[in-house]
Amino acid sequence: MDINELKDIFGECELCQDKVCVKSKLYEVLEYIKNNYSFNVLKSITAVDLGSDVELLYRLFSTEDEENAVISIKVQNEADSVIDLFESARADENEIYDMFGIKFIGNEDLKRLYMPENWEGFPLRKDYVQDDTRLAWNDNSDNA
Amino acid sequence: MNYLYHLYMEWLSKFGIPELFGNITFYIIPFCIVAIALLIVVLALVLIERKLLGWLTQRKGPNRVGFWGVLQTIADAFKLLIKENITPDRSDKFLFNLAPILVFIPVMTVLGIIPYSSEFTFVNTSTNVILYLILVAFPILSIFLGGWASNNKYSLMGAARGIAQILSYEVPITFVVLSVIVLASSMNMTGITYAQYSRLGALGWFCFPCFIGFVIMFICVLAELNRCPFDLPEAESELICGYNTEYSGMRFALFYLSEYALLFANAMFISILFLGGYLSPFGTYLSYFIFGDTHLASAMVYFEQAFWLFLKAFLVIFVIIWIRATLPRLASFDLLKFSWAYLLPLSIFNLFLAVIIKFITGGAMCGLS
Amino acid sequence: MITATTLKLNLGPQHPSTHGVLRLLLELDGEKILSCEPDVGYLHRGMEKMAEGMTYIQYLPTVDRIDYLAGCFYSELLCRTVEGAMGVNIPERIRAIRVTLLELNRIASHLLWIGAFLMDLGALSPFFYAMREREMILRYFEKLTGQRMMYNYFVFGGVRKDIEYLEDIEEIIKILPYKLNDYEKIITDNLIFLQRTKGKGVLEPTTALNYSITGVNLRASGVEYDLRKTDKLYEGFEFTPVVLEGKDSWARYKARILEIKESIKLIEQGVNKLKENTNFEQKHINPLNLKLPEGEYYSEIEAPRGLASIYIKSTGEDKPYRLKWRTGSYYSVNLLRKLLVGEYLNDAIAIAGSLDIILPEVDK
Repeated sequence: MDINELKDIFGECELCQDKVCVKSKLYEVLEYIKNNYSFNVLKSITAVDLGSDVELLYRLFSTEDEENAVISIKVQNEADSVIDLFESARADENEIYDMFGIKFIGNEDLKRLYMPENWEGFPLRKDYVQDDTRLAWNDNSDNA
Repeated sequence: MNYLYHLYMEWLSKFGIPELFGNITFYIIPFCIVAIALLIVVLALVLIERKLLGWLTQRKGPNRVGFWGVLQTIADAFKLLIKENITPDRSDKFLFNLAPILVFIPVMTVLGIIPYSSEFTFVNTSTNVILYLILVAFPILSIFLGGWASNNKYSLMGAARGIAQILSYEVPITFVVLSVIVLASSMNMTGITYAQYSRLGALGWFCFPCFIGFVIMFICVLAELNRCPFDLPEAESELICGYNTEYSGMRFALFYLSEYALLFANAMFISILFLGGYLSPFGTYLSYFIFGDTHLASAMVYFEQAFWLFLKAFLVIFVIIWIRATLPRLASFDLLKFSWAYLLPLSIFNLFLAVIIKFITGGAMCGLS
Repeated sequence: MITATTLKLNLGPQHPSTHGVLRLLLELDGEKILSCEPDVGYLHRGMEKMAEGMTYIQYLPTVDRIDYLAGCFYSELLCRTVEGAMGVNIPERIRAIRVTLLELNRIASHLLWIGAFLMDLGALSPFFYAMREREMILRYFEKLTGQRMMYNYFVFGGVRKDIEYLEDIEEIIKILPYKLNDYEKIITDNLIFLQRTKGKGVLEPTTALNYSITGVNLRASGVEYDLRKTDKLYEGFEFTPVVLEGKDSWARYKARILEIKESIKLIEQGVNKLKENTNFEQKHINPLNLKLPEGEYYSEIEAPRGLASIYIKSTGEDKPYRLKWRTGSYYSVNLLRKLLVGEYLNDAIAIAGSLDIILPEVDK
């Protein structure tokens, strides 16, 4: 994959360590990479809470060239959904919504996955505090 | 049966008991015998099935309660009796309670019309084959009632599958039974048994001239009993427990009991139609061979006949259990297709074959006698 | 008036054939499935959140629980990542030990799958046969590690102790091929089995890739992608990845049988290497003040249920800043949305079973 080509088309692309960092237009970048470099598998989407914003790492794989690529984007609370390109993203995006509270625009199926439906807060966020009253070990618990 | 009746009346008159009493009790006692025998048979069958399945799957089977695990089923039955009877909140309570009772009545009756030996048939009507066919189709009604009344989606689907299955497998059974009736010129099970008598023993059995029918009958009986590979109405991995998902305690025990009683009855029915019923496979009864031409021998023959029938029935049951240990379950669509597309035409062909055989051999017997 | 209505059915979370606590919200027309909505999370243990509050050595014993049928693979992933981060190369003998145990574990996992799959189809005996063979492997693990499922045997820089009882492994790999032949006799060409699996649940390679399906399920769809080919751990081990063109449930079954045979080959080589090279030495990484250098670490492995990977972001602390697991089953569950639609209920059970979904792996 040629980073300079991406730079020419989308701008704002840079190679940081071993991943391609984009500022915006994630969907367009992924679409371009998928169509032109035969990256046909989205292995996983990883979210990392950096404090100020959340970094999303898209791990792509090409079965033809046996090549891996990582696309990184930093988002606040919203991101583009890529389920049109990779159906597997539906699972990842839902998990990230559940754990980080990031809304993926275009994905209608977002719901609480692991956490109960009426749970407040997003556990893997760094500012998440475990003070839910339903937890028996919290002091202000009703059912303690 | 007349012979037994006279014996009983003579015995009663010795004690000066009025004939009316004898007339009433003579028809009640057999049913008591059937009820007790049924319980014993079912308990034994469950144990045998579990033991056999255990051996076929490299396990020991029940071996803790009683010697060799013989008391295991009794313990299980007792456990079911003392369990709480749970009725689902939104179920149709009347039908829900009715279903297990309804399933039990025809099963009890069926065992009363089977000829266990030439003198021992509780109710011997001239067309008891037809009566049998009607009675064994009856439990599906309670399967449907139970499934419907449970107000459970799995139960409902199990019931629907059960109805579709029995409807499509009853038809080939009827044709096969018809071909046997043609061969035997009789609609009576004792008559059918007699028709299979030959000096060459087992060679006179209808499973030879009517082999296709025998195989079809066997397959259809598997379907009618909801046994593997046709156990769709209670397919565990799909419908949890099918129509009896919501049943517990005594009601479940009744379903369970009737299932095994039906298994036994059907195995005997196959034996009667195709395997010579209570006839000895050697042409002559072993009793005469052992005891000579004595009074004792002619008495022992009745027991020997019952022994042969039970042995054949258990052989059939063994094969059914063996199949259960071997085969996966059919898909519901394939199940119906299998019946309508293959079994039904074959069974009609079998009927034609039977008619031709009957026409060629002419007489009352089809075989070699 | 009769109106056509559909039936909403909750398949699970307590259901005999969802292999745990998977809940499928099905919309049925008769027995035909119109839509399928998988719901997971009944077994969520927060493995990722937990990692953020634990040091690496504290976390190590818990990772076996991610997939209780193939725990070795997840221990190996964590160990390998930490070793990579610390710049440690594990010695030859340790490598052979790990490959041998991983492949044994893979066989145990596949054997259980064969039993459970046939159980889904309604066949009784294969389950017990498969369990009997799996028992040999579990017995061996119990002898070696003291545990039947959560081995906690791999540690950073090596294994807990040297491997023993090699003759037991040799016995297992001597018996297994015969037993596999038995399975093939009772299962593979069974008419009903063929009817239930041939042409059912066809998974086109493009669909599989789009849904990020990996592992045996992908290879049964005709895509040759086996991570073991490029894995450094498997360097010097000879095997051919199993690729079948069938795309259906039957191919997935057959691929697993063949994969067991490949695993047997790998174990043979591993045992031979262990016999040649008896020099047991470990690379010592002191787990008590283990601090991963700042940075991001990623490694992946070919687990029995597809590609498994771990991502660790470290800020130089003794605890990971962020740890993320990628498991194969999670994507298989997502695939059910597509694969089950239009199938009949009893086929659906068979198809879902053929994908080898295991719930602790999904819920993490």
